[in-house]
Amino acid sequence: MAQRVVITAVGIVSSLGWDIARIIQNLEAGKVCFARPPFEPTVAVAPVADFDARFHIGRFKHLRYLNRGARFAAASACRAVAQSGLTPAKLAGAGLFVGAGPHLDIGTEFPEIHQGNLDYEGLAALWMLRFLPNSAAAAIAQLCGLRGENATIATACSASLQAIGEAFRRIKDGYLDVALAGGGDSRLNPGGILAYKKAGVLSALPGPPEQAGRPFDELRQGFVPGEGGAFLVLESLTHAQERRASIWGEVCGLGLSLDGLTMTAPDSKGIQAEKAVRSALQEAGLSSEEVDVISAHGTGTYLNDAVEADLIHRVFAPRTPAVTAFKSWIGHSASACGALETALLLINMQAQLLPEIRNLNRPCRSAVNFLNQKLAGSIQTAVIQNFGFGGQNCALVIRRHQA
Amino acid sequence: MKSMPDVDQPMTIFNDVRAILVDLLDVEPAEIGAGTYLVRDLGIESIDFLELAVALNSRFKVRIEDNDIFLFGLRAQLAKAGPNPAPTPEALQAKFPFLSQQRLMEILQDLDYGPVVKVADLVAYIQWRKAMEAAA
Repeated sequence: MAQRVVITAVGIVSSLGWDIARIIQNLEAGKVCFARPPFEPTVAVAPVADFDARFHIGRFKHLRYLNRGARFAAASACRAVAQSGLTPAKLAGAGLFVGAGPHLDIGTEFPEIHQGNLDYEGLAALWMLRFLPNSAAAAIAQLCGLRGENATIATACSASLQAIGEAFRRIKDGYLDVALAGGGDSRLNPGGILAYKKAGVLSALPGPPEQAGRPFDELRQGFVPGEGGAFLVLESLTHAQERRASIWGEVCGLGLSLDGLTMTAPDSKGIQAEKAVRSALQEAGLSSEEVDVISAHGTGTYLNDAVEADLIHRVFAPRTPAVTAFKSWIGHSASACGALETALLLINMQAQLLPEIRNLNRPCRSAVNFLNQKLAGSIQTAVIQNFGFGGQNCALVIRRHQA
Repeated sequence: MKSMPDVDQPMTIFNDVRAILVDLLDVEPAEIGAGTYLVRDLGIESIDFLELAVALNSRFKVRIEDNDIFLFGLRAQLAKAGPNPAPTPEALQAKFPFLSQQRLMEILQDLDYGPVVKVADLVAYIQWRKAMEAAA
């Protein structure tokens, strides 16, 4: 029998903060953290100021093997596990699903290579580990005592949303009772910025950096790299009820697909992306009219937002749900964006207040209900969408928990 | 007689080794003394030995032979020699010349309790190696 799957803990480390009350305050006050990187002032970034992994995870001798993105993963995973109240015995049986991407901080890692030799004072013998995608999972397993079924998912910017979806499916199908799922990433280092700038996907809008990211706005021209991490504890409803865990929400459906057309750009017709959204709704047993809110991928690139806006219109017209885009608040955290956006959505569902899309002055589609001001009130059902390079599409349906 | 430069004094070497271990293992300096066991007390594992060898080489600019400094070769040496006659410190000193006979005797009596290598053994190795390389 299929299990119902609920979320019982939310750990997040973001540019809006890591303390949940503080995050809500910052969302209410419109307090964001954007900057111009000194090495490339034509682009904007959304850094997590004052991030110190040890503050969140304590002493850990293997920290040197984690790149900054993996440190966000470990920090937010530890916060989720601490919040969950799960016993060591329960954690030992828990699964682990981590969305991860490539480590692009090549300039800091390799200031110079001399005649094929790579060495400098302080270079870890096993520097290689900072480049392995499953180093975050290895660290989290050690730090949190997880020993169960696991996978590291590398489906670009849909990776951590898919990681949550994979955990959902394993629990729903009875392979696991409990799982930790999410991701962490940071690509606002010189290597990341150079790579994305070359790809022509970054916003180069002049003016205040907090106005550079404009999802779904007519003036949008690219994304703003962000960073951070988020992990959720998912468990079967039965398991959560048995241990009287507090419940943040229920995961009801997952949809996945591949465009199979290009290496980077999304299919301009959004055919497979639409299929992913529709199959998530189908698994959740929901009609499109029953969705209250969409957390859009909303990168602020011209093509993504055009394709996504049309897709939302096709699936949900005539009454489109309220559409928000958290990247306007925290930038685009690459493989971690889905987990961060799901965590923020859950926090907002609990606070009964959904933030507007920042910098949205002239929406690119009038028929879509893009939020240009805060929406107060109870959110029952939400769809989270993420699309990645390589034509990776992922959609997840979550619902306010009703006992 | 020429006095040895300060950097070759055991206490100076010990302080530097301790600083490396503090950084590598994320522990407090107070947790590390000359008699501290690397594996039994500090939980050093293979990956840490690798980093330690690189860090010691980088700090002291001497060649670090893992099998010698960390006594990895000790048990193999004993196994090769066989139980008869019983191993003696004298016999081991050919392979581990940086350790005193007293220390080797202590090691032989300590084998059943786990990995024997202590912080002081690293200091002894580095001091010996520095002298060897200076002489060469």
